[in-house]
Amino acid sequence: MDIENIKKEALEKIENIKDKNDLDLFRRDYLGKRGKIRDLFSLVKDLSIEEKKTLGQKINQLAQEIEEIFLLKEKGFKKEKKEEIDLTLPVKMTELGNLHPITQVRREMERIFQLMGFSIVEGPEIENEWYNFDALNIPEGHPARDALSLGKTFYLKGGNVLRTQTSSAQVRYMKKIKPPIKIIVPGRVYRYETTDASHETNFFQLEGLFIDENVSVANLKAVLKKFLEEFFKREVEIRLRPSYFPFTEPSFEVDMVCTVCNGKGCSSCKKTGWVEILGSGMVHPNVIKNGGLDPKKYKGFAFGLSIDRPTMMKYKINDIRLFHSGNLNFLKQF
Amino acid sequence: MIFSYNYLQSFFKEPLPKPEKIAEILTMHSFENEYIEKRENDYILSVDVLPDRAGDCFSHTGIARELSVLLNRKIIYPKVKIKETLKDKLPIKIENSSDCLRYTASIIKNVKIEESPKWIKEKLEICGINSINNIVDVTNYIMLETGQPMHAFDYDKIVGGITVRRAKKGEKILLLKEKEQLLDENILVIADDEGPLAIAGIKGGKKAEITKETKNIILESANFNSKLISQTARKLNIRTDASIRFEQNIDPNLTINAIERTLSLISLPSSSKIDLYPKKLKPWKVKVSIKDINDTLGIIVSEKEIIGILTRLGFVVNKNMTIEVPTRRQDITIPENITEEIGRIYGYDKIPLILPSFSKPAQINYDIFWQNKAKDTMKELQYSEVFGYSFIGDQEREEFNLSVREIINPTSSYYKYLRPTTIPQLINFTKENLKYFNKVKIFELGKVFGKEERIVLSGAVSNSDYLGVKSDILALFNSLGINKVSFTKEEIKIGKDIIGKVGIKSGITFFEFDFEKIQKNAIDNREYKHVSYHPIATRDISGLVDDDLEIEKIISKIEKIDLVKSVEVFDVFKGKNVPSGKKSISLRVNLQSKERTLDGQTIDRIINKIKETINWEERK
Repeated sequence: MDIENIKKEALEKIENIKDKNDLDLFRRDYLGKRGKIRDLFSLVKDLSIEEKKTLGQKINQLAQEIEEIFLLKEKGFKKEKKEEIDLTLPVKMTELGNLHPITQVRREMERIFQLMGFSIVEGPEIENEWYNFDALNIPEGHPARDALSLGKTFYLKGGNVLRTQTSSAQVRYMKKIKPPIKIIVPGRVYRYETTDASHETNFFQLEGLFIDENVSVANLKAVLKKFLEEFFKREVEIRLRPSYFPFTEPSFEVDMVCTVCNGKGCSSCKKTGWVEILGSGMVHPNVIKNGGLDPKKYKGFAFGLSIDRPTMMKYKINDIRLFHSGNLNFLKQF
Repeated sequence: MIFSYNYLQSFFKEPLPKPEKIAEILTMHSFENEYIEKRENDYILSVDVLPDRAGDCFSHTGIARELSVLLNRKIIYPKVKIKETLKDKLPIKIENSSDCLRYTASIIKNVKIEESPKWIKEKLEICGINSINNIVDVTNYIMLETGQPMHAFDYDKIVGGITVRRAKKGEKILLLKEKEQLLDENILVIADDEGPLAIAGIKGGKKAEITKETKNIILESANFNSKLISQTARKLNIRTDASIRFEQNIDPNLTINAIERTLSLISLPSSSKIDLYPKKLKPWKVKVSIKDINDTLGIIVSEKEIIGILTRLGFVVNKNMTIEVPTRRQDITIPENITEEIGRIYGYDKIPLILPSFSKPAQINYDIFWQNKAKDTMKELQYSEVFGYSFIGDQEREEFNLSVREIINPTSSYYKYLRPTTIPQLINFTKENLKYFNKVKIFELGKVFGKEERIVLSGAVSNSDYLGVKSDILALFNSLGINKVSFTKEEIKIGKDIIGKVGIKSGITFFEFDFEKIQKNAIDNREYKHVSYHPIATRDISGLVDDDLEIEKIISKIEKIDLVKSVEVFDVFKGKNVPSGKKSISLRVNLQSKERTLDGQTIDRIINKIKETINWEERK
């Protein structure tokens, strides 16, 4: 019996083993109960003590060596084979669905105002002339009524108009809810316009209304600044300028420091450092009266914010008509 | 409106701040300045005078008055020096004093019609008015100064007297620049005994025009009903420097001052003024409270300061804060108007920012909640949201045979109806997008207008795989917690109520749901169902069932059987080898128990029960 030969043979065999099955066979052949090592030991049994000792040691050593190489090989097999990958290969981007940018911005606005305690309500898009004009202190013959009704308002056959501003919901809710009334009214409004990159016939507004016993211009300033800061996610400076709306008195135009140039003056703010962001004011006593409330007791502020414009500012969109284009090359960018 | 910086300067002794500073002060306290432009030795200030202030501020005097209040400087009004020595007279009549509130006139003789002096021409040019001749230019110059439009007629061409009256139907006037205008009884005219000389407040006529040959003139400084002028200007589509001013409430007390200033500049003897002023406008009173003003603004301005501001503005403050309003300020009628005056002059920038104290939390709006949920689910289903106009045209109406509500004044014939459905637009959007994309999946959640305004959820997919769309619809309803949904061939129902439909047009599959009906059935509270770890037993069965038994019914019946986890139909066949009145179906049934692994016996028992339930027959 040649121990060296067995060893040599075993090393050769194990070298060539490619799978787990062959490795199991190897174990059986060498280290198993009827394996070659056992066979060697059974031969030793009949030898002299002296010979038993020397040969036994040698067989033990052989057994140990074979077991070691076996274990090493087994360990190698236990590791799963690594998959080869190559991320440099080109692919097409997975298609996701998309929400319209106006939807996304509208939700963001709603979220911020809700945090400040404003409930969201909606009003009808087909509105009667009373809610759209008269209730808002724009009676027949008022120059603002002419300005808005002649040329700016869509009239429907059989009566009624398409609302020209979300403000038309103001009086509806004053009649419905008891003060404090703290609501926003987002939605689609309509103006007769010749469309171009900055004018649309269908667009979106968000109206805000807060009526309570002690509401002041100071409150209006704070709420609007807070909103703009949350919306633009940065510190925002605002200013109120005198303006005129029939349904508010006093009325203001609210400007914020231009986000492009930080107030230094650039082309997007016409070098003024300020960007006009919304119209607002203290609710006109006639409007409060039309809502069935006592203007001596209740005061309030209202504001009307475009949704389209801040969306355009946020994403640097230069053509308002894209919003209603249905063009996925545009819509899939958001 | 365009203002000249030098012109404004002429109202003050000391030099005004720089134009940029003036512009900023006006923007923050009065009216927005649109732009400043340098012109030789002057500056143009383009000021957006607010509509309620046009009555007193479409004039350099008006803006100068604002500046005098804001800069706290004394305003110097130009001097008036007149010689009313002529004895000439002209009969003047106002037919209706509500059409013409005041008519002031003066006759000047022996004028020489020539070019204006340079300084007048310069001022007019800066303010965008063409120089015509010395007389017309002076009237325009005074209009720029005072805001009172004036008109000069050739005195010798007037036959008889002047009447301010409504035009007669069919009457005509030849306007300056040779344009003939047909008139009617809604139009106010200045007429002599023969016919109209001018359309009141809007434009003069050819007949009594000032020409090189004119020797004697009559100046008109009048006040007309602003609404009437506004309507006429719109109707005739004529906008002049006079009409844009007369459309506002100009102070009728201004006519005298303006005509005297004009006479001063012409510097010739004139007749004594002919002044018809049937109902003189007097100052009125508004009572305010200091506390109310401060409460509204959210700041404390002292009584002294408030009185100071009001006095500078030309208001007379009487006892108990009863304010007398000058007649030029017809925009001031209620205490809130005074609050605005105090706020803007004091400065809105001085008002602090105070968040309102917390009153009550916002209420959830479930309409919005479900709309958001539906939109999010559509997005998860790989649809992209689109917005269509609320308008459609004849093409959509005819192609889809729609009954529509019509817009009286559409912007174009493509947008003359309100959409009663969004499907035509979605199909068009899909077609357009197929030029750039291999596959298009779009949806809209928006208003449509039938008899009522409704909200619909609709979508379109760029192929005719309507069963794929059905899968999406099932996922949508599952996400909205609706499990009572059933299908007919083309419609979707909840219970007996049809809530939507699916169709194919030009290879595009579309669907539309009544969103209110969806929302009514949507449920947000789900209950956990036990998750079983026991194996699923799957059995396929095929055989014959009655042809009129709908697949939907078969599935719902089987799913009600105990231990049935799910069932799918993978083949339906009619025709060859299938007896009439029958159809061949193949089903795969998945069975699972929550408590144990199912044995063969139990499985056979359930399969038998299924067969009984659907009246199943062995295929021959």
